[in-house]
Amino acid sequence: MFEMLSFEFIQRALIASVIIGLVCSIIGVFVILRNLTFIGAGTSHAAFAGVTLGYLINYNPLSFAIVFSLLTVWIVGYLNLKGYLKLDASVGIFYSLTMALAVLFIGLMKVYNAEVYGYLFGSILSVTKGDLAIILILGLAVLSLVYLFFKEFHFITFDEEMAQASGIAAGWLSFLLLTMIALTIVISLKSVGAILVFALIVTPAAAAYQLTFSMIRMFLYSAVIGITASVGGVFLSYWLDLPSGATTVLFVSAMFFLSLIFSPKRGYIS
Amino acid sequence: MSNNVIIRFSHATIAYQRRTALTDINLEIFQGEFVGIIGPNGSGKTTMLKSILGLIRPTHGSVQIFDCACHKLRCRHKAKIGYIPQKGQIDPNFPVTVMETVMMGRYSSIGLLRRPSNDDRELVKHALREVEMDGYADAPLGHLSGGQQQRVLIARALVQQPEVLLMDEPTTGIDTPTQYSIIRLISNLQKNLKLTVLLVTHDINMISPYVDRMALINTQLHAIGAPADVLNEKTLTAIYGKQVVVTTKGGGTYVIVGDYHYV
Repeated sequence: MFEMLSFEFIQRALIASVIIGLVCSIIGVFVILRNLTFIGAGTSHAAFAGVTLGYLINYNPLSFAIVFSLLTVWIVGYLNLKGYLKLDASVGIFYSLTMALAVLFIGLMKVYNAEVYGYLFGSILSVTKGDLAIILILGLAVLSLVYLFFKEFHFITFDEEMAQASGIAAGWLSFLLLTMIALTIVISLKSVGAILVFALIVTPAAAAYQLTFSMIRMFLYSAVIGITASVGGVFLSYWLDLPSGATTVLFVSAMFFLSLIFSPKRGYIS
Repeated sequence: MSNNVIIRFSHATIAYQRRTALTDINLEIFQGEFVGIIGPNGSGKTTMLKSILGLIRPTHGSVQIFDCACHKLRCRHKAKIGYIPQKGQIDPNFPVTVMETVMMGRYSSIGLLRRPSNDDRELVKHALREVEMDGYADAPLGHLSGGQQQRVLIARALVQQPEVLLMDEPTTGIDTPTQYSIIRLISNLQKNLKLTVLLVTHDINMISPYVDRMALINTQLHAIGAPADVLNEKTLTAIYGKQVVVTTKGGGTYVIVGDYHYV
């Protein structure tokens, strides 16, 4: 075990795992409680489309991932706010639209690019120093915003109309939350992959939801489950020589099923 | 009750989801008054409350509270309005305690980037005592009965230290004895705290002994006045579209709508 920790790429992967596990699981609590689960799936595919465009025109793929994912959540949020289209319907449109764009951009590349597919399925062991810096900066930004606006996010998550009526800028905060979801997906894209990132957002929070009636404890349990799953995924994938993204998702899914069994809300065992 | 006008509708026409819900409403609500708003489904009762909250702005005319246009209210004004929306089904597993729920009423007063202080926690405890729920502070909200949840939501409005309480069908989905206990609680709070209360309801008989005035609306304001003046068979039959019988007993006025025994 200690021999593996001496490798620099493993050290980077573990640091990235802790940050991604923490940020995804914290933001996931809002995603679960506000019924935004589908928006995460749509946004991760939009981010992947941005990555493919970046590779196509040979420009920083991460910056395009940020632009594509932010545009997706903002447009979807606006259509929902104005009552033009329900959230799941507009996410469904963007989900297929951005996947179509990704396929188109890959087709236009003419040559096979393995790095692009790395973003689809994720490879935390290939995280570079530059990637780690972006993960750290954006991750800290998202966590800081959660800390600063925690009570307001709590209120709009429980009762958005009441929050707005009492003077909380609910519309503005909802867009901020969507922005934070998009950034969380972007920082997790390379390590977990566009297809699997969503599991790291939804599953720890869904598991924590089974275990407590307190919002604060839900954040705590979600963070512990998220970090355990993402760090555990790195160790397991190294030891068993398995794909890291898939191993992490299978690990966190197992924790979810355990939470269902031990949930005080369900009472199968407790 | 004083002669100070707190809420004023002046020729207000209000549309909700592109449909005109209220037309040319002229209405003044006085400080310390308890007003019941009645009318059939879709008559614009909830829209009336939402326009006072500034959530919907009138297409014509104006709606004012504390002499400010409602859609331009600043936070300090909004903090003086306690709102209890129609209670939807609260997810029994939603992770929120009674204390956390009531504390939300303090958030706009506390302001951005600040945490609740000990004073805020004391106000929450006091509000829970006012609604006789002080023993439930750490209980999950979803574990309480409908009546207890309604008391918690009233405490959330009270913790704002409001001057005006707007309540949208606060007794819906609650058994009859609890409905009466909730209305009595609201009436006592209104008197003790000198609140101005607007209460939207379908339970005409329940609120008529407690309110100072009733407003009967159905897109337009059809009647406003003391319950005995508003509750007359001809007007109510025209508004509800069913035979209405108005009877008096023990000094109270009671309404029976569409009961086949009386048709």
